[in-house]
Amino acid sequence: MLEQQLVNGLTLGVIYALIAVGYTMVYGVIELINFAHGEIYMLGAFFCATFITALGLPLWLAIPLAMLCCSLLGIMIDVVAYRPLRNAHRLAALITAIGMSIFLQNLAMVIWGSRPRAFPQDAVPAVLAEQAFSFGEVTITWLHLFIFGITFSMMIGLYLIIAKTRIGTAMRALAQNRTCCQLQGINVNRVISFTFALGSAMGAMAGILVAMFYNTLYPTMGYVAGVKAFAAAVLGGIGSVPGAMFGGIVLGIAEALGAGYVSSLYRDGVAYAVMIAVIIFRPSGILGKALVDKA
Amino acid sequence: MNKKIALPLLAVACILPFMPFTSEYMLHVFTLVMVYMVLAMGLNIVPGFCGLLDLGFVGFYGIGAYTAGLLTINYGLSFWVIVPFAALNGALWGILLGAPTLRLTGDYFAIVTFGFSELVVLFLTNEIWLTRGPLGLPGIDPVSIDLSFISKALNPAWDWYYEFDGELPYFFLALVMVLVIYGVMRRLEDSRLGRAWYAIREDPLAASSCGVNILNYKVIAFAISAGIGAVGGCFFARWTLFLSPDMFKFWESFLVLCMVVLGGLGNINGALIGAAVLVALGEVLRVVLPELGLPVETRFLFYGLIMILIMRFKPSGFLPRIAATGMQNPIIQDLKKRLDRERAAA
Repeated sequence: MLEQQLVNGLTLGVIYALIAVGYTMVYGVIELINFAHGEIYMLGAFFCATFITALGLPLWLAIPLAMLCCSLLGIMIDVVAYRPLRNAHRLAALITAIGMSIFLQNLAMVIWGSRPRAFPQDAVPAVLAEQAFSFGEVTITWLHLFIFGITFSMMIGLYLIIAKTRIGTAMRALAQNRTCCQLQGINVNRVISFTFALGSAMGAMAGILVAMFYNTLYPTMGYVAGVKAFAAAVLGGIGSVPGAMFGGIVLGIAEALGAGYVSSLYRDGVAYAVMIAVIIFRPSGILGKALVDKA
Repeated sequence: MNKKIALPLLAVACILPFMPFTSEYMLHVFTLVMVYMVLAMGLNIVPGFCGLLDLGFVGFYGIGAYTAGLLTINYGLSFWVIVPFAALNGALWGILLGAPTLRLTGDYFAIVTFGFSELVVLFLTNEIWLTRGPLGLPGIDPVSIDLSFISKALNPAWDWYYEFDGELPYFFLALVMVLVIYGVMRRLEDSRLGRAWYAIREDPLAASSCGVNILNYKVIAFAISAGIGAVGGCFFARWTLFLSPDMFKFWESFLVLCMVVLGGLGNINGALIGAAVLVALGEVLRVVLPELGLPVETRFLFYGLIMILIMRFKPSGFLPRIAATGMQNPIIQDLKKRLDRERAAA
């Protein structure tokens, strides 16, 4: 069943990549590990499920709406929690990020309860659960393909935004040097808000996909996924968007292999071990440039 | 802390358990405060003195606690023998983790320590043959003072053996622990070692060009910090008499880090205040929330919110460290005063 594990690992890997992109972009522009990003991912799944069950929206409408809500939430988190601390000690912002993560996680627990819930299956087209291809013992469902399709189209869209648009150029410039951007008349806060919105939308999408894949969502799901996505971002070189995509996929496969060959109990441990090893031997990540220490 | 404040505080602490209003529960909370004071002082060394963010402190706390628990259960060793063992084990792991990773700076180091603490929790959860995994480790013996080998030698009828029972003896043991570690920290702060740490924190490049071996001093700092964390864990194990991997999750690291930052990074008194405030806040919320008709589970919600607010309005903590040790030097302070006077006169 290792091949099947690999397929599942790869599917999870692209989802990690989707979350990792959010971490890496925020780190790129403000050099902050946004610990609340995992919670955005969790809230994306909850918003989507709630829009379907409470408002009766169809899936194709609930997904963009959930992404929009998470984008707004991402911007709000930045404005309320991180912006006032832009010039304070780095640790202060980091603690605020962790505080925000704990706050959002517990808020979700208060609103939706702490028990895992099922993703509303009647809203999901039945065809997704069906088999699309099979090679020997490996089965690829339409859901796998759906996840791949969505993820890759979002990645390409993100690439186009970063590479081709004015605001994308501003983001890249901001990652290089904030003071210079200000001197050039770039509205730095607006670019940072845009980065948060973009990263949060992708994180929300990842949450929805995972909730559909496992058919379950719970308020603490953001923690482990967030950590793994962060590991993926580090693995690929933090601050580098292609690195985050690459890191996510590598991590997903490493996890599948680790669970298959080493021990399934240490499934989550693989992510941490890989992360520590990469940081020790290649601190700038596999695709990253050597980082000048700005601490 | 000068003697004028410290001695009365100590006196209050000694009388407190005997006050009529002090319940067993309050004693428990006081002891908990002191456990966190130890942890906060231990963690303070790394981010406070050396300026490195350590998100994995709870790993060493867990290692200390499980070392104590397992040695007690499997070999029946006494608390007094286990404390140095636990401290050495913690320091050893600190060196093992620190030596290859302390070259890293800033966030990368933070991430490695975080990964380490998560691996410790996974190890404690999964290695069931050693730790009983998620079931936890019950049946740890309480602390005891066994001087019967002396008393029996003096008079065969005497048996000087005392097993800790209830919260009171633990309160005083914790108090002694806090005092000892506080003393050690004060000595460290003003030692060659402490000055080297401050130099590294303020300007690593300048420090290294003055001949300070940065990596060595950082590894020493990390090992001492880990050792103190393990001592805290050791006490915790012999006090609660039960351990489970859940007690050593990332949340604890965050809590201790908050105490350190809230109190004022690099300030030993600040670490004490931070520990007292945050433990008290947790307990107050536990009592207040049901009164307001909110479930107790929501207290972390407020905890997170309060942390954000404190950081928003007091980003450098309650007792910001005024300057590096050099500025606290009486000669420099005297010079500063004279300078101010001259400026005022001019």
